[in-house]
Amino acid sequence: MIEARTLTKWYGSVTAVDGATFTAAAGRVTGFLGLNGSGKTTCLRMLLGLIRPTSGTALINGRRYRDLQDPLRQVGAVLEQGISHPGQTGRAHLTGHAILAGASHARVEELIAYVGLARAADKRTGAYSLGMRQRLAVATALLGDPQVLILDEPANGLDPEGMAWLRELLREHARKGGTVLISSHLLAELAQLIDDVVIIANGQIRCVAPLTDLYGYATTRLRIRGRDPGRLWQAYERAGGHVSMDGYTLEVAGLSAEDAGEIALGVQVPIYELTADTPNLEQVFLSLAATR
Amino acid sequence: MTALVRGELYRVATIRSSWISTAVLGALTMMLGWLSVDMWKLLVGVGAIGLATMQTAQHYQHQTAVLLHLGRPHRVLVLVAQLIASVIVTVAFAALSGVTVLGKGHVEQYRDVLVVVPLMAVFAAAAAAILRRPMWLFLASGAWFIIIEGLISSLEKPLPFTAFLQASAGDRLHLLIFAGWATLAVVGAAVAIHRDLVGE
Repeated sequence: MIEARTLTKWYGSVTAVDGATFTAAAGRVTGFLGLNGSGKTTCLRMLLGLIRPTSGTALINGRRYRDLQDPLRQVGAVLEQGISHPGQTGRAHLTGHAILAGASHARVEELIAYVGLARAADKRTGAYSLGMRQRLAVATALLGDPQVLILDEPANGLDPEGMAWLRELLREHARKGGTVLISSHLLAELAQLIDDVVIIANGQIRCVAPLTDLYGYATTRLRIRGRDPGRLWQAYERAGGHVSMDGYTLEVAGLSAEDAGEIALGVQVPIYELTADTPNLEQVFLSLAATR
Repeated sequence: MTALVRGELYRVATIRSSWISTAVLGALTMMLGWLSVDMWKLLVGVGAIGLATMQTAQHYQHQTAVLLHLGRPHRVLVLVAQLIASVIVTVAFAALSGVTVLGKGHVEQYRDVLVVVPLMAVFAAAAAAILRRPMWLFLASGAWFIIIEGLISSLEKPLPFTAFLQASAGDRLHLLIFAGWATLAVVGAAVAIHRDLVGE
């Protein structure tokens, strides 16, 4: 489990993170969403002990990162689009970190195959694509077989196959009881993966909720096209709906699809199209991040 | 600690540019040692600064310090391991490059240099941990040596590089003075290594 308790970081007079409090629970994938410069990376680095908070506490499995026994066996981190020395091969990079993590040579070979770098393992990482560097970073994070994974923009540079692979890896990790905290700006991708959401904007946490509840914050709108838009408009407004016009299509909020269909039948106007426009994660995120 | 030192040495050995430049510098130093003992001493000193600086500062240049500190959050331990690894590499470099000096019978000078080179490795690695940028360190060291120690002090004041040069000529007092400078750099590095790792 990951806990941030009123984490605050000032750089001089600039407040990068202001009282961030949230948790990421075991067995769940938690998405950490924020625009560029919103304080996500600073928060993640405070959790990992790389940046000292001005105030507040960051705990992983109930302890500060620096107090963890064998941290690489408890926490795996993917930061900064695949950190490695460009003159070192992927295999040498992993072997060097296996020495620190206490992992075996067999584990290194297993991970090279697992992340799909078997053919590139003896190439220098400076020649790797961004996607290959991300795969290497994931392998580095998994060396100690940790229970907690913290990933900062791990999907950057991955192709669709790579994204599907990463999604399955993280879901499987959570299914086995692991904790996953992942930041990403690829919101459509994240929506397919996460259970819980933490939204940060301007250094402040704006929302901590299960993903399903987050969708509940936003109102579903109906798009309705019928023979007589004017009569439909009046009927829906009388029923308490909020109606706007988009070309020949009505956009109705505040009514269910069933109500809208019955009302149209009641006023004898044929309906040609009725769709529920459920907001996606991006719309919800932007409304929460920008409006408060 | 052993794992940290092993990891550092493994890293040096597996970065091709690193060991190729070390081998080339070693061969050049060995050749010059055959021509002049003083040239060998100077190049060993410069080589020790370069090797120890690059070994430590590259971690910050390529952000791999992040992985190191994730693996070992107690940063002073990481620093100590880096100092030990720098000493091992530079002593090996000095010892091997000096075989021509030994071959010509300059045993005492060879010994004096091998005594002071570990201190130079510690001094340079600690300075690299403070500055974190190898180019800054090289430029600052060069400017310091030429302007402060060369032009202003005429290599007569107990400043770091003057002390190193005197110590490598067998002067015990300057060896102690240089050990003092190295200790000061280590204290500074032990404080500086706790700075935030903010990334790119």
